[in-house]
Parts: sequence; structure tokens; C-alpha cells
Amino acid sequence: MNGKIEETVKAVLNRIVLVLLAFIIGGIVIFFIGENPLNVYYILFKKSFFTTTGFLNTLHYAGPMILTGLAIAITFKANIYNMGVEGSLLSGGFIAGILGAQLSCLPSVPLKIICLIAAALLGMGYAWIAAVLKIKFRANEMVVTLMLNYALAKVLEYLTTSVFRDLNAGYVSTKIVSNQAVFLRIFGRSRLTVFFFVILVILGFFYILMKKSKQGYVITAMGNNFEFAEATGMNVGKNIMILMLLSGALGGLAGGGWMLEDQYRYTLSFSGSPGLGWDGMLIALLGGHDPVGIFIAAVFYAGLKTGADSINMYTNVPKEIVALIQSMIVLFLAVQFFQKYKIPLFKKRAKEA
Amino acid sequence: MQLLISILYDCIYHSAPIILCVLGGIFAYKANVLNIALEGMMLNGAFISVLVYYYTQNMVIVLVLTIITTVLYGLIFSYFGITLRGNVIVIGLALNMAAAAIAGFVLVLMHSSHIIIPDFSVNEFKVNIPLVGKIPVLGEIISGHPPITYISFILIFLIYILMYKTKFGVYVRVVGENEEAARAVGIHTDFYKYGAVLIGSVGCGLAGMNLSLERMGLFTNNMTAGRGFIAIAAIYCGQGDPVISSFYAILFGLARSLSVNLSIYAGNAARLFDCIPYIIMVGVLSFASFMKHKSVRERGFKVNE
Repeated sequence: MNGKIEETVKAVLNRIVLVLLAFIIGGIVIFFIGENPLNVYYILFKKSFFTTTGFLNTLHYAGPMILTGLAIAITFKANIYNMGVEGSLLSGGFIAGILGAQLSCLPSVPLKIICLIAAALLGMGYAWIAAVLKIKFRANEMVVTLMLNYALAKVLEYLTTSVFRDLNAGYVSTKIVSNQAVFLRIFGRSRLTVFFFVILVILGFFYILMKKSKQGYVITAMGNNFEFAEATGMNVGKNIMILMLLSGALGGLAGGGWMLEDQYRYTLSFSGSPGLGWDGMLIALLGGHDPVGIFIAAVFYAGLKTGADSINMYTNVPKEIVALIQSMIVLFLAVQFFQKYKIPLFKKRAKEA
Repeated sequence: MQLLISILYDCIYHSAPIILCVLGGIFAYKANVLNIALEGMMLNGAFISVLVYYYTQNMVIVLVLTIITTVLYGLIFSYFGITLRGNVIVIGLALNMAAAAIAGFVLVLMHSSHIIIPDFSVNEFKVNIPLVGKIPVLGEIISGHPPITYISFILIFLIYILMYKTKFGVYVRVVGENEEAARAVGIHTDFYKYGAVLIGSVGCGLAGMNLSLERMGLFTNNMTAGRGFIAIAAIYCGQGDPVISSFYAILFGLARSLSVNLSIYAGNAARLFDCIPYIIMVGVLSFASFMKHKSVRERGFKVNE
């Protein structure tokens, strides 16, 4: 038990060092632009973590990223590289937006449930394509999902600009969702809604799934050694399908929730840049594919993202600096810098290479 | 007839950057290093070439800086993935993000959403081949492409020779097939892996330059639009063989060219045509993977097969 705690502490310390390293590199860039890095970072974190409303907003933005982080984690941890979470999120958001606008005759609760279920199902359906191609045809899931993301983005772009376009809006978007579909804000001026608590329940469910259930053990086993997992009698094909569907559902739900609690209409920049699905990847890696870690990482990263708007406003540093820092963090997370700190996540890769 | 000519011309036009990417990427594939940073490297090539041309108007400096910076990406990839033994997929994704982030960052500093080279004419880099250009139909299709497009097609054969007829190519393949054995006979495996990745960077740098500077004289972020991943799909389909993989790259070029040329007749649904090339590649990849595994009696799945 003691060893386990020690390992966790080491893993946490290891991540903090990597994040700091990324911030130092970002600081050097800021320095060359002619701003004081410490001042910029102070502005970056002040509002999002040290004011009540700001912190609640941070939690609000962390919500969808917790879901996409989980979606990535359950597949990446099992050595399945599902890059389709972004696609699931977009399709989920799109369908929730359309249904939320069209079914305005329904009362509040059933409408929300229908929207979210449709979002999860569509996200699932999207992931199902890649899963089937992987299992039946052995097509590399990473390449397939990446390609499908581009195809899906084009299809949604077409639907948004033609069939479902709201001609009254001054920009390309679908119709705004009806009032009954919207998750209301509950804490005064902050953007936090009830959906955040739905997310926490889902997080709790996945904590149990990943830590206590048989499925969780299968994920770990597949992650440690794919062929061995199969040799011991696990049906890897079936498990790939289950994990991809779960991942797709989480992605779709993230999109649906984001639609009903924040965006209210589907625009071409629904998921932002680089996209909530891609943010999920950083969060899953930073959180060590662990539900608790994912929660912390999502809150941290959401703070970073909301703070980015502040630095855009109060300094000369473009907020793209955060994207730069994000890519540095991902890069450093790929490597076991401290060999003696054995982090379970990369143990297998290191041995293999 | 005019439509057919323009479809075939565009097919060559759209194939070139992907062929370059494929030719660069196959060495890493053969060396068993999955390089998905092709996309980011291509984006970097596109960005740096336009940026440098914008400030200097000197092709030599453009070429040198484009290749140096993309090789830098390759070095970072190799150092983290090969020397430090990190997870190459994660590193590749990080570099893709980094390339987009750096380009976005510089664009904001320039207060613009794109870089356009002033007074740029599409004909600026076009090469008219003396005799061939005069042949009726064929001349119109083959002549009048920028230089890197021609280089890409010539490279298919040079890379074929490099891959199968030289010591370097043989060693790269040996390292990929059985690293332990390669090390046992005294091959510096890391050296050949580095070499394989760096060749890929050069190819992607040229591909990016072809894509942005030579063809259009402008750069917008995300203009590579997944071409690096398409190259990876083509490599997987052709299992790393230069000629077959390039064939798949040309297939994508044809799909893209068809979607561009036919969308004129599609009216409102024209945007929908853009997704066809990606879907075709998914279909082709599935089919190729199926054919590859059909005869294999091995049980079970492998990571990233």
C-alpha cells in the first residue's frame, strides 16, 4: 500500500515538473515578445482560479473536457488510438442542437434527455464505424478515425450552411435551441449549470468501471500487452468494440451537453480551436488515464483556457501561446523523463522500444 | 474533353504533395517508427516557405530554411521517440499541435489570418516543358506544373532505388523487421531510425512548400487539411512500397481532382464533394488491410497493425 502511494506521488511530481518545463518554454517566448512572463502568467491564472465566479466558470469549461478526457483515456489506456472523439463530439453537439430547436413542443426534462441520448447515440454510431473497420477489416483505427473526422467536418459544414441554416442569424449557424432544452445557470453570474453534476455522476461511474470492474481490468490488461490479453482468453475484438462505443458515447454526450449548456446553436467553431476532443487527449495523458487525474487535469486546463482570454485582453501576448504550451506539455508527457519513476502508463512502450 | 484534361491535370496537381509525404514517410514505416507527425511537418513546410518568401523573395533561402526547420521537427521527433524512447504516437500528435500553434501564433503577431504573397501570379513557378508542352492533349496535362511537382514524380523511382538497391535502404528495412537481430550484427539501429525519420521531414518540407508557396502563394492555418494523414493511409495501403504507396497517393489526388472538378455541376451540394476523397481513402485502407490479413492465419490483434 505504501509503495502505491509513493508511486502516485512520484507520478504527480513528474507531471508537475513537465508542466513547469512547458511553462518555462512558453515564458521564454513571452519574454521575446517583450512582456514579463511572470506578469502574464499571473493574469492567466488570477481570474480563473482565484475569484469565485472565475473558478465556477473554470469548472464549467472543464465539464466537456472531463468527458472527452475519459473518452480518450479508456481507449488509449487499452492501446486503441481512437482519434474520433472530436468527431463524436461534433456529431453529438450537432444532433442535440437540431433536436433542441425542432422539438420545442416537448417539456423541459424529456427534451433534454432526448437531446442527450441522441447525442450519445450518434457519437456512438460514429465510433462504431471505425470499430467495425478495425475488427472486421483490420484497418488501423487511428488513420481511419482521423480521416473520418475530416469527412464528418465537411458533412456537418454542408448541413449547417444549407439544410439547417438559420437564415435570420448574421453568420453561419443552425437555429437556436428552444428555452426548455437549455440547462440553466445556477450560481449567480457564473456559467456553471446542472449538467456539470451530471458529468460528475458519469465520472463517478467511470471511476468504478475503470478501477473496480472486470471491464477496467480488461482495459489495463489490453494496455499492458495486447497479445497476452488475447492469449489468456479475453475476446479482444469484442472489447475493442465495447471501448470504442463507450468512447463514442462519451464524446457525443460531451458535445450534446456543451450544446445545451453553453453554445445553444451549432456554428462552424462549435468546438473551438484546437477542439474539445483534442483537449481531451492532453487531459487524458496529463491525468495518467485515471478518472481522478482526469478531473484535476481538466480543471487545470480549463483554467488555462479561460485565462487565455484574459491575457489576450490585458497584454500583448496572443492567446495562442496557450496552444503552444499545450503542445509542449503533450510532447513532454510522451517521454518517461525519470526512468526510476516508473509510471505505469508508459511502462510497456519503454520495454518494447 | 476539356473537363477530362482538367481532371487529369488537377490529379497530378493534387497528388504531388501527398506523393512527397508518402515517399518521405515510407522509410519511417519500414523502420517500424510510426511517424504521424507528417501532417505537422508538412504544415511547417507550407508555413515557413511562404513566410520566408514573403520577407526575402529569395528561393534559395526559402528552400534552405524550409528544409532546416522541418528537419528540426524530425530531430525533435527522433530525439524524443528514438533516443528517449517515448510514445511515438503521442509525440507525433504533439508536433502536429505544435506546428499549428506556432503558425497560428505568428499569424496573430502579424495581425492577419493568412499570409498572401503580394503580386503573386499562379504562373510564376510553372514550368513549361519545351517539346512535350506542344503535344496536344498530353502536353496540357503534363506541362505547366511547378518544379516540385515534377521532382515528386521523379523521386518515386529514386526512392525506389534508395529503398531496394542501396545499403541504407536494406539496413532500414532490417532494423524495422527485426531490431534485435540488426543490433546483434552490429548495425547502429538508432542511426538508421534517425535517418528514416529525417528523410521523411525533408519530403514533408518539400510537400508543404509545393502546397502553399508554389501552387497558390498563400498560407492559411490548417491548409494541409489532413494530407499528412492521407499519406499515412496511403503508406499503410501500399505497405511501404514506394511505387504502390505512391499509386494510392495518386488515387487520392484523382479523388480530390474529381471532387473539385465535378462540384461545379453540383450546385449547393458542392461542399459535400469535399468529403469524398477521405471516405474513399477509408474504403481503400479497409480493403487493403482486409486483403493483407485474409491469408494470414495468425490469431488476434496487434497494436497499430
